[in-house]
Amino acid sequence: MTRPSLTSRLVLLFAILSVAVLGTVGTDLYRELETQLSLRDDAALVTRVDQIRTLLQDANTMELVREKPRLFENMLGNPESLLVLRFAGQAPLIEVNPGQVPIPQVMPLAAETRLALSAVQHTVDAQGVPFIAVAATTQTADPQQNLEIIAGRLMSERTRLLHAYRDRIVLLVAIGAALAAFAAFILVRIGLKPLRQLARQTDSIGMANLGARIDEATTPSELSPLIRAFNAMLGRLSAGFSQMSQLSADMAHDMRTPISNLLGQTEVALGQKRSVDYYETLLASNFEEFQRLSRMMDNMLFLARSEHPEATIERVQLDVASEFDRMADYFEGLADERNLQFVLDGHGTVWADPILLRRALANLIANAIQYADAGSTIALASVENSMGVQLLVENTGPAIPETQLPRLFDRFYRADAARRGSANASGLGLSIVRTIMSLHHGQSSAASVNGKTRFTLTFPSAPLI
Amino acid sequence: MRILVVEDEPKAGDYLQNGLTESGYVVDLARNGVDGLHLAQQFDYDAIVLDVMMPQMDGWQVLQKLREHGDMPVLFLTARGELQDRIKGLDLGADDYLVKPFSFAELLARLRTLMRRGPSRQEELLVVGDLQIDVLKRKVVRGGTRITLTNKEFALLQFFMTNQGQVLSRTLIASRVWDMNFDSDTNVVDVAVRRLRQKIDEPFDGPGLIHTVRGVGYRCELEE
Repeated sequence: MTRPSLTSRLVLLFAILSVAVLGTVGTDLYRELETQLSLRDDAALVTRVDQIRTLLQDANTMELVREKPRLFENMLGNPESLLVLRFAGQAPLIEVNPGQVPIPQVMPLAAETRLALSAVQHTVDAQGVPFIAVAATTQTADPQQNLEIIAGRLMSERTRLLHAYRDRIVLLVAIGAALAAFAAFILVRIGLKPLRQLARQTDSIGMANLGARIDEATTPSELSPLIRAFNAMLGRLSAGFSQMSQLSADMAHDMRTPISNLLGQTEVALGQKRSVDYYETLLASNFEEFQRLSRMMDNMLFLARSEHPEATIERVQLDVASEFDRMADYFEGLADERNLQFVLDGHGTVWADPILLRRALANLIANAIQYADAGSTIALASVENSMGVQLLVENTGPAIPETQLPRLFDRFYRADAARRGSANASGLGLSIVRTIMSLHHGQSSAASVNGKTRFTLTFPSAPLI
Repeated sequence: MRILVVEDEPKAGDYLQNGLTESGYVVDLARNGVDGLHLAQQFDYDAIVLDVMMPQMDGWQVLQKLREHGDMPVLFLTARGELQDRIKGLDLGADDYLVKPFSFAELLARLRTLMRRGPSRQEELLVVGDLQIDVLKRKVVRGGTRITLTNKEFALLQFFMTNQGQVLSRTLIASRVWDMNFDSDTNVVDVAVRRLRQKIDEPFDGPGLIHTVRGVGYRCELEE
């Protein structure tokens, strides 16, 4: 199921809002009108009954009623009205009831009570039309008797008026809602135009023009963060992409040396019959080249896997001093060949994956041994601070130019161009160190001053649980 | 000792069969999983070398079927070194694994470990030619002359002598003697072996006991 579009959502929202607002206003006006009309009608009825009451206190009027009831009937002349005059318990003197409304059973007010609006009784007839009635008693002069006056009015006229008014309100609400929805539709179309433009621009960016950026100037300011984020993403992708193609090129270049050796020496060997010794030497040499390729591939795979976001490591607390001892132990022979001494100054613990830590240290120490001045010392030291533990590997030797320091950890980068392709170094050692450090959320850095080259690994401390 | 190799790649199958045969094993070679399973169910092998990536019936399926019946030691070969792969294999009941490309010496070493029945007994006295070492007393004597070795030199020599006649790769040596479980670009092992030779071979008239196997690694043996 597709989610409703922004346009339809906004249109619906606008329509609902205008129905709610207009409907509330209309309903309120309707109620107010209904109340006012009702009050007015009640007052009119009360006034009428009051007048009749006063009138009937006059003996002459009674006379008149008796003789000419028709006069009263005509006087009312309204088909909605009801008027009954009767002495209590007797047949009516006058009954004006053109609408044939049943005479309401109302307790008449006593003669001395003043009429008020509260005397009006509200009922509803069978058709749902409101009916109001007032009943009052008056003392006639001759004979001295209680005369009941019952007056009523069926509100069919008023109901018609209110219905018309209500229909009008409903119509206006509907038109208002339709107009609001239409306006919303138009506004959203106009408002989303920059988004469509953005989509078009985005659509046109591909592998070929990864350098292109989306124009921020012509779009509304609300879209700027999105565009900036998007452009930044393009930047990262572009950088990653060119790094990747650079990497493929570098790797192909580095594989070329062993493969060229393999092809060349095998081709020469196959050119004529040779001694068994020759073949043995050739195979052994080939074997070495294959091992080199295999190691290179292993390292590439290690890097690729470690850079996978899901790569995980198993960290434990390791004793720095004993790790240094182990390293010195491992490299002792190699260092001795170049008359190098290890100076160890490790203390405390480091929170790291043992195999990865050893691999990183081994890579740094192998480099240090390779580049150290003969007869000098290689220092392994640890520094603890609030951030974590720093492990330092320092050797005395030729300085690395400032400009090359940041690139040292790049894959296949060699500060010493002449050593490119030397049999053992794969050019991946330091990039493996960097990868190992980023797996630990730590840092690797290099510095070269006063004839000392120092590599620093910063391991964050274990989180306190 | 009888070994079954299940490998669909022709060259790999051939060299595994040749190499293992030359190392003194009786080797059966199956070129696909179905044949491999069939052979494994028919004969009692001391170990099975199983390639994982095969058409029709892959190594995992073969392993699953095998484990329904017996518990022949199985070493699987995988081209993908991903952790999940290795875990899957070991979960299915494999005893060990190697990631391609691997060194043949390493394969031999692993197979020997697999086929060693019962716990390995540490030899107290190791002898090659006129060289002998007493593991407990950490004493090394050649032709009656006492030789002083550093701890690591002793450990290296002990490893060589325990695995007499076998070709030991540099990676294997680094891993067993120094516990460095990764391929390093350095020639630490070569240097260590050279220094060991300077102490146990060069001062003596007798034949050299540690031999270089070009490209592959080293072998400790008294050559006749």
